[in-house]
Amino acid sequence: MKSRDEELKQIFYAEALDQFEELNRLFIVLEKNHGDKQAVNAIFRITHTLKANAGGMGFEGIATLSHLLEDIFSELKNGKLALNQEIFNDLFRANDKLGGLIEAVTSGEEVRYRGLVTKLKVILSEAHGEERVQKASRDYVAEREQAAGSAEHNQEQNEISQKNREQAAAEEKRQQLQQELAALQAHEAQSMQDEEAAPVETNEPKIAFSDLIQVPVQKLDNLLNLVGELAIEKDRIAANHKGRGSEYARLYRVTSDLQYSVMGVRLVQVNVLFQKFHRIVRDVAALENKKVNLVLEGTEIEIDRNILQIISDSLIHLVRNAISHGIETTEERSRSGKPAEGTLTLSASNEKDFVVINVIDDGKGIDAEAIRKKVITKGLLSERNAQQASDQDIVKFIFEPGFSSAEKVTQISGRGVGMDVVKKALDSIGGKIDLSTTKGKGTTFKLLLPSSMAVKNALLFELNEAEFAIPLSFTEAVVSLNKKEVHKVSSGLVSSYLEQNMSVIFLKDIFSLDDVDDLRGPQVLHRSFDKVSENEKLNIIIVKFNERLVGLVVDKLLQQKEIIEKTLSPPVDNAYFISGATILGNGNVCLVLDIPGILNHLFNPVKYGSYDYAPIQ
Amino acid sequence: MDELNIVNKEELFLKKDESAEAEEHVDRSQIVVFKLGGEEYAMMIDEIKEVVVTPNIAKVPLMPSYIKGVANVRGNILAVLDLEEKFGMLKEGETEAQSKKNYILVVESQTHKMAILVQEVPNTLTILDSQIDASPNVVVNDEREGDFIKGLVRLENRLIILLDIFSIISKDILQAENKES
Repeated sequence: MKSRDEELKQIFYAEALDQFEELNRLFIVLEKNHGDKQAVNAIFRITHTLKANAGGMGFEGIATLSHLLEDIFSELKNGKLALNQEIFNDLFRANDKLGGLIEAVTSGEEVRYRGLVTKLKVILSEAHGEERVQKASRDYVAEREQAAGSAEHNQEQNEISQKNREQAAAEEKRQQLQQELAALQAHEAQSMQDEEAAPVETNEPKIAFSDLIQVPVQKLDNLLNLVGELAIEKDRIAANHKGRGSEYARLYRVTSDLQYSVMGVRLVQVNVLFQKFHRIVRDVAALENKKVNLVLEGTEIEIDRNILQIISDSLIHLVRNAISHGIETTEERSRSGKPAEGTLTLSASNEKDFVVINVIDDGKGIDAEAIRKKVITKGLLSERNAQQASDQDIVKFIFEPGFSSAEKVTQISGRGVGMDVVKKALDSIGGKIDLSTTKGKGTTFKLLLPSSMAVKNALLFELNEAEFAIPLSFTEAVVSLNKKEVHKVSSGLVSSYLEQNMSVIFLKDIFSLDDVDDLRGPQVLHRSFDKVSENEKLNIIIVKFNERLVGLVVDKLLQQKEIIEKTLSPPVDNAYFISGATILGNGNVCLVLDIPGILNHLFNPVKYGSYDYAPIQ
Repeated sequence: MDELNIVNKEELFLKKDESAEAEEHVDRSQIVVFKLGGEEYAMMIDEIKEVVVTPNIAKVPLMPSYIKGVANVRGNILAVLDLEEKFGMLKEGETEAQSKKNYILVVESQTHKMAILVQEVPNTLTILDSQIDASPNVVVNDEREGDFIKGLVRLENRLIILLDIFSIISKDILQAENKES
């Protein structure tokens, strides 16, 4: 794991250099105007981050120094310390030293910083000391004035002697502090001397360059597009020169290596996202008045940066939900014999081509009965069907649009938009979400994410002499059925697959519509079916989405292929039923079907009545 | 590659430079002229990236009929538009198949990139900016196409309509968005 550590170190170094540069800038601002509150606040923030990062990486010097700077700037921020030229000079030197220490992360050079640390401690304790001494004398003066107004001379006398004693005590304390300071200063002088004596302290300004470069994602996207085109060209050449495969073996290898390298560049560790949850969990738990411990697992798993970005909101939503609805209050937990502190686990792992992210809480679980009731009142299922469905199936209804199980609205969660938004985000990237829950034990949300956005496996088919693709993540099976195995049921078509009922849709019918609302027109879904002769075989691709099986009738099945899906640009970017397109080896454009979009249109919850929903085990 | 890069921008710019040397202080524009429904239309040359032989077009379901689909132009997937259909310019009785569209113009702005079908290879023309009449009484505010006309160019006995291609699309996008909400 040495390379991993090295990588982390590089990342830290790059970040720290940025922060140091920003600090330099701010210090220069501060030099011109000692009272610049914004600069003070900004420095406070940066040193705070730097301290935390360096602490995590075990760079003690940077951590100590930035910690002290943070403390001093905290005092400055709160007005307990006033900046003067002398203090500023020390701070400026501390900043330089910080730069030296950061530089030393890669150079391995030894940088002495103890002297400066002492100096900063002196500044800090002066701030504290001043405050204390000031307070003592302020109190004294105030009381004296009060006393002066008093008529009782005698008592005043008494009080004065009392005050005198107190003053003496304060004075003593002051002296004590001053001694402390003197000791510190002596120590400082000593260590400064040591430092001065240290060999080769070059004062020449140096400009440091990090070995990491930051690249806008847009540039990577472009690069990936180009590589995608190269891969397509490669396919085309190979297709035109069948039988001479060996001649292209090298081209093949180089292009796919290139493709995977570029994809690899876009991968980031899930840690990037997970780390942000420490704060989120803390905040939500504090608001809900609950105790929650966050556990992170598999933080080194890598995933495409864009996917991470797309799911980040969903993950926040799931975590908030888990804390506000899943994990119980401390009292509830102790009553049911659980540890007072709830545990929320975010774990990542690899599963074949997917990255799995689990959000696990040890809370009270989801109440299937409550969901069942709601499913019935919302009319998503008939009462009979709802009673028959298993608890595991019923709880999945929380992913249905408009379904929110929050009974009271809190600041954090339960704003009506809920799990369906999470599900949509996952659908958009070809991911899946699943949940399992045990009453009293907790809930696990399992997110199945493609590790790369760019390349996906797809099934190609032909329809109306054009080629289309369906991502394999949605396909369940490919079957060939006789017409008599398909039956008209109400306005739709139904057949069965492995003894389960499934709706059958002729893609031709929905693709030939003029308007998407015509889908509800009479007999629309029967049109092609009526034209098919009795003993004709139907080619059907069975897709599964939302636990629902649907058979799509196509003209001809083609091959399975790795495709690079590109999104469509205006004016066709909002096309119904199409999520994107890819370019085939023959140069033709092949549209990629938006299975969730198609099925959502067909099975709009309002229209549940016409398709008797059969729960699938 | 059977694609044809007919409009060579560099060459055109070179020409422009020469003529600029000859007559200074006169603002000129290069326009690309093509025929739609028997009339001459034009766009500014910097809006047009290239002209290629029409590639295979994949029809996108549930789109207005003037959006013919998407096609692959040098690795870019572009929407292909038929403006004759958009403006209702097909002659009476003329079917779409009869009006052959052999080429596409690839048009590009900072935000949009798409292709429009044309029958013939377009010509380029250098005009004086003073020849463009963009006065409001010319640019009628007609629901159908008025918004998309930047101005008229009158040259001897020719009348060339300068198109604002991107407003066509922005307007359609707006309508689609309104529909959704």
